[in-house]
Amino acid sequence: MVNPVLLIAVPLAFAFSIPLLGFISKRIGKYIPPIAMLFNLVASLILMPEVIRRPVVVSLGGFPAPFCITLFAGPVGILFSCLIALVGFLVSIYALDYIKEGAREKYHMLYLLLLTGATGVVLTGDIFNLFVFFEILCISSYVLVAYLGNKAGVESASKYLIQGSIGSAFILIAIAFVYGQFGTLNMADIARSIHSVSPIQLFVPLVLFITGFGVEAALFPLNAWLPDAHSSAPSTISAVLSGIAIEVGIYAIARVVFTVFGASSILLFLVLLGLLTLLVGELSAFSQSNIKRLLAYSSIGQIGLILFALGIGTNYGIAGGLFQFITHALSKVLLFLATGYMIYRVGSMEISSLEGMGKKMPLSSLAFTIGAFSLIGLPPFVGFGSKFLIIRSALERQSLLYTVFIGIVLLGTIIEGAYFFRVVQVLYFKSEKINRKRPARRSFGVGGEEAPATALIPIFILMILIIVIGIYPKLVTGILNPAAGELLNRIGYIQEVLR
Amino acid sequence: MRKIVSIILLSVIAIGIVLTLMKIPFAVPKTKVGAYYVDKGVGQTGAVNIVTSVVLNYRGFDTLGEVTVLFIAALGLGAVLATVKKKTKREIMPSSLVLSTGCKFLFPFILLFGTYIFIHGHLTPGGGFQGGAIIASGFLLIYLSCPKKRINEARFKVTESIAGLTFVITGILGLAFGGYFLFNFLPKGVANTLFSAGIIPIIYIAIGFKVGAELAGIIDGLMRISE
Amino acid sequence: MSFLNNYIYYIGAVGLILIGLYILLAKHNLIKMIIGLAIMDTGVNLLLITIGYIKKGTAPIFSKTGLNPRNMVDPVPQALVLTAIVIGVAVLALALSLAIRLYQHYGTLDMRKIKEQRW
Repeated sequence: MVNPVLLIAVPLAFAFSIPLLGFISKRIGKYIPPIAMLFNLVASLILMPEVIRRPVVVSLGGFPAPFCITLFAGPVGILFSCLIALVGFLVSIYALDYIKEGAREKYHMLYLLLLTGATGVVLTGDIFNLFVFFEILCISSYVLVAYLGNKAGVESASKYLIQGSIGSAFILIAIAFVYGQFGTLNMADIARSIHSVSPIQLFVPLVLFITGFGVEAALFPLNAWLPDAHSSAPSTISAVLSGIAIEVGIYAIARVVFTVFGASSILLFLVLLGLLTLLVGELSAFSQSNIKRLLAYSSIGQIGLILFALGIGTNYGIAGGLFQFITHALSKVLLFLATGYMIYRVGSMEISSLEGMGKKMPLSSLAFTIGAFSLIGLPPFVGFGSKFLIIRSALERQSLLYTVFIGIVLLGTIIEGAYFFRVVQVLYFKSEKINRKRPARRSFGVGGEEAPATALIPIFILMILIIVIGIYPKLVTGILNPAAGELLNRIGYIQEVLR
Repeated sequence: MRKIVSIILLSVIAIGIVLTLMKIPFAVPKTKVGAYYVDKGVGQTGAVNIVTSVVLNYRGFDTLGEVTVLFIAALGLGAVLATVKKKTKREIMPSSLVLSTGCKFLFPFILLFGTYIFIHGHLTPGGGFQGGAIIASGFLLIYLSCPKKRINEARFKVTESIAGLTFVITGILGLAFGGYFLFNFLPKGVANTLFSAGIIPIIYIAIGFKVGAELAGIIDGLMRISE
Repeated sequence: MSFLNNYIYYIGAVGLILIGLYILLAKHNLIKMIIGLAIMDTGVNLLLITIGYIKKGTAPIFSKTGLNPRNMVDPVPQALVLTAIVIGVAVLALALSLAIRLYQHYGTLDMRKIKEQRW
């Protein structure tokens, strides 16, 4: 049995030791993140059958439960930790050749620390610890967005930093209120005594938590930083931010709303907010001409969909939302990785300059097509299973209101289909004109060969996973159902921690 | 227009915060974990400074996260300022005799004071972070007095890495010996003496060196871009 | 008067938070926004510490034997604020380094003029 602390402590030890290993050889730094993430992936897979039977609660420091920090490795935590380790491993293999300029040793350290922060957020059982690891995640992402040092990157990073810090300050104010009212910081302890105060007193901390985590999770009025940040970062960082960082933000909101506060009265508001975010994201993506901004707005839309699914509140609804997490992580990462080398070869991020890529880079274009179809929700891919589960759980509520909501979700899907088909059409069906206008901003295009092997291996693995999980969703429903059960079953959570 | 919208937003937030604060009485003991720590702290951890035992033993994982955040800040500063193109050299005035003599005279005392604070973290108010900040201010004085002096950057990096690894390895040793991460496995000694409280002084010494090296490295990085 | 005596710390902390938030929302210069962020962080830390105060309490250090533990303030918010101050310092250092790079690229720190990323 692996102690869940090692999932956080071992990557941290690796990250601290990269400068020392750099004295031995300059190039060894880039091999450390894949090794650390492989360890995390293997450890999470070993823990998975165990936590489905019974969650693993670890106390740090050896003291009894509410007087120390506890790590709660339940089905939700191990599912997320597996996903983070898998995505981190594949993207770090892609980055072996993709990152060529800048302070490379520092990039790999910061990348590993970002993933460690994300793993810490999903495994912890203490509110202030959640804040600390959330800050680790956010601060590493501020730096990595500005990594290339160009105009767009630094501007996006400074706007992201200012907005993210306001969110963090709100979270800290909410923690102050929660501590003042309950006297403890352990999530299970707060959940146990939540009914001893009147609901009016809980309203302000809950709203502050949702606003604070919502900045990082890119909910509707708070997502102004996302299109700039995700489009000016290097492609590997865009993939990790879109696939992991904003999903961890939604996880934090779900944990606070479901487990700590048990606030079922706010779920309708979350459903409406999710739908609003979905519409804003998809409509804005429709009119973009820059491929990375289009993918960034599509991320906003998908987060709206996930929040809608989580807000439905039934067992199938939450399972659908968790399934959509898996879909979005795999598909969006595949899309960003596929376009990474395309942009590098062509030298610009405009969609019109990607025409004819179907012939020049066939494997990357195929990967883009599979990722796009999976996000839209077409049958043999994993996106179909998740969207079907969400719509079915909304239908189960059997009310007119929810039928209207399903209509809005389907409208969003149609808009998504429209803009993704437009890009696929440009990739495959427009022929190469002889005198096409090349936008003269950056001309570092290096010709039209296919991407190197270190880039193709992760793309290939992601494609296989999308197709296999799409055809056999039973592979993941074994963990999705216990995970949904854990989020809904507050009494069970409290009993596990405070035995 | 923007100011009016922000004032409306601020008044909404203010009303919300004030309404919640009215329900939290001032200066009344309201916590159960606080009373537990104050009562049992000396017996269970051996440190007479209860805040230190909370920071390093009961909530030691938060301190590990905090050390990581500072590490990220130092790395981030180096990464963002790494591709700065140096423009025309700025003319730096040499410092006066009083300034340079005073700084050179004060530097060892400041280092000694900072070291005293973090070594005695479990007995008196203070600790690793405070001591590290004082050490970094000593380095700042050196930069003020001799603006052209540069410290070897590799030494800062090595100090930071070794100190960080010490913290994590102490935690893992606690896991190996006692079954819990950051378990206090060294003998607790007699309270109120220097060699007491198990692993707490060791971790604080590591944190003191790490924070001092990081903050001094940040100042060094900022000085480098203007040479 | 006793109302003010009891709540002056709360008023101070909340006032600092609101001033910092106003600066962040209404000013354009990046350095002023960073100062506003620092003020807001200070206000939040003061709020955390104030929640832990106990009447006529002293520092929780048993420097002599025989000190009454009932007279000591709560140690937990002090540990929280230690961490929060360090995190605030880290964010400020990063923000200032980004401001240096931004000034090098654009020549100005007015956020209204730095709008190269359009729709």
